[in-house]
Amino acid sequence: MTTYILRRLIQTVVVILLLSYFCFYIMTLMPGDPVELMIQSNPKITSEDVARLRTLYGLDQPAYKRYLHWASTLVQGDLGYSRTYRVPVSELIGSKLINTFILSMSSLSLALMIAIPLGVLSALRAGSKLDYLVNFFAFAGISVPSFWLAIVLIIIFSVFFHLLPAGGTSTIGNELTGMAAILDRAKYLILPTMSLAYLQIGTFVRYTRSSMLEAMRNDYIRTAKAKGLSRQAVIWKHGFRNALLPLITVVTLSLSGIFSGALITESVFAYQGVGKLVYDSIIANDFNVAMVSFIISVTMVLIMNLLADVLYGFADPRISFK
Amino acid sequence: MTADKMNETRQLTAKEKHDLEHVLPMWKIVWQQFTEHRMAVIGLCVIIFFVLIAAFAPVIKAVTGLDPEAQNPLSRYQPPLSRTMLPTDQRNDKVLEFENMNPNVAAELRKSLIEKSLVQSASEEDALYDLVAQKNTDEIREAMKLIPTEAADKFLPVVNTFETMHVFGTDELGRDVLMRLIYGTRVSMSVGLMVAFFSAFVGLLIGAVAGYYGGVMDAVLMRVTDALLSLPTLPFLIVMAAIDLNKVPLFKSLVGSENESIVKMVTILLLFSWMTIALLVRGSILSLREREFILAAKTLGAKDSTIIFRHMFPNVIAPMLVSVTLGVGNAILFESALSFLGLGIQPPTPSWGNMLYNAQELISEAPFLAFLPGLLILATVISFNYLGDGLQDAIDPKAIRR
Repeated sequence: MTTYILRRLIQTVVVILLLSYFCFYIMTLMPGDPVELMIQSNPKITSEDVARLRTLYGLDQPAYKRYLHWASTLVQGDLGYSRTYRVPVSELIGSKLINTFILSMSSLSLALMIAIPLGVLSALRAGSKLDYLVNFFAFAGISVPSFWLAIVLIIIFSVFFHLLPAGGTSTIGNELTGMAAILDRAKYLILPTMSLAYLQIGTFVRYTRSSMLEAMRNDYIRTAKAKGLSRQAVIWKHGFRNALLPLITVVTLSLSGIFSGALITESVFAYQGVGKLVYDSIIANDFNVAMVSFIISVTMVLIMNLLADVLYGFADPRISFK
Repeated sequence: MTADKMNETRQLTAKEKHDLEHVLPMWKIVWQQFTEHRMAVIGLCVIIFFVLIAAFAPVIKAVTGLDPEAQNPLSRYQPPLSRTMLPTDQRNDKVLEFENMNPNVAAELRKSLIEKSLVQSASEEDALYDLVAQKNTDEIREAMKLIPTEAADKFLPVVNTFETMHVFGTDELGRDVLMRLIYGTRVSMSVGLMVAFFSAFVGLLIGAVAGYYGGVMDAVLMRVTDALLSLPTLPFLIVMAAIDLNKVPLFKSLVGSENESIVKMVTILLLFSWMTIALLVRGSILSLREREFILAAKTLGAKDSTIIFRHMFPNVIAPMLVSVTLGVGNAILFESALSFLGLGIQPPTPSWGNMLYNAQELISEAPFLAFLPGLLILATVISFNYLGDGLQDAIDPKAIRR
């Protein structure tokens, strides 16, 4: 077990190193480096200035040398400086991580609260009208374009009914404290949470339904029924507990998005999270921010993959690690 | 029991016997199982409908006479089912064209227009232009009824082109939304299908090599696959889409500028979509490798390529089909997301995604515009997902029967 986890950890570190170089390289292929941007914003710039700036930023060096330099400063704890916001990246990224964490946790828990009962219900009544309906609901969840869902929610709730704010993280310039501040944040959270949750509900319902169907066909279910257990006990204690196994994997994998955020949903709702930061920094060519948030999300995904495998082993003793 | 009834029962058993003894080919069994999944059949119909629309888009354009690119700054954001007039200068151009084509008819028309004082004109030369400028199409048609029919008949088709009916209204540049949706179907569908097709090809190849040869080859290919699978897809797609292609040495010489954004889109999406198929193929090939018929083929001296292509691939295709079908839906979703962010298919080429590009600014002015393309994406992707689900049930004998 320990050797398995250790080996996977080493593999993960290698993959992160390779991927970060890959990211670094393709970022250099993007149009407009910082000096080009400066040239555009300052018509009086001389060619000597350009050359000096290029040396200053190290842009005259080949990509791999720049990568090594960047990686060594990163290891020393210096995340670099944001070109757009003119603040250190570490300062910038902290609050966004918290915002994203709040959003992803609330949408994940909402999704699980809705999806698991729905999935179990439709599995127990397989083939019924209700099953068809739940299935359609779930299929729509995995098929709907996230940006369009967000826009439709905005149209319905903020343009037509004026119930909720169309975007943002909290009311700008508010001086609220305590409960009022929390309520204000909550108001801005509702729409993004709803749209993110619906996207996850689709997947969760389908997994719950199929693994529940599988579990309820086992012989021990018949035994449990035969010895006169109540229907609730059969479903939840004998059926559902065994159906949970595959669900663990799916939920752990979706946990990987907890810090990387939902890029499109956050951008459409102008929610100040990591997803929006990644998008903005890529578009604005804010190199340091993009790389750091990239590495955070890749690392999270890989660690959660590992965690999913390990958890799976704990939940199902039949699986052995080699 | 009468003799008649005896005969009837005997005939019935004979028919049943025939049914029982008659062997159904594989595809018929699959088809029968597939048709039991009602939603999958509906999905298939929807997909066929969209494919037909995509294929016949130029025909629809020719029949309706609507151009998806034609802009009309005077009629932006028209609601559905509205009629719009061409701007005056474009109407004048059409009249000029008509006069040059049929000078005699035009002269006759002008004369009778002045005679019957249907138009107030300073000079006879301007009669037609003034008519077009002063009256709307219905009034012109009325006027045409009062003058010699032959000349009027020739002018009426020109009048008819002045006005266009927009079933789904017009967009921010006054273009017909229906036509753009139809042409968008063409782009979005072909991107989706191409990505799925190529990723099936790449996945098949990589999965087969990894599964069949094993060893170092397998380890390397699978690590690459795992690494790509664990990437956060969307940020990567955005970076790739934002890449300046002029900085990539080979690409520029291979692709012309015409379809650049479509080719770029397909390439980028392909990079991130072959992995699931490769894993699936590898898995099936690993188990096929131990089967007797492969051993038999090897014993007979078949080459590796023969074994892989002739003996293994036919057994892999069926399960792969499901994955490919689901892949089309995913590719369409990613394409639309990237185009929505302005990084995918570049205007003026319409795609469902880039029609939503500035949908966010439009939600108060024209919510309808923001609604339609997304609905089409949803309908298509959900159809592909149901189709995949139906195929899975039909192909896999162990699947739960509904």
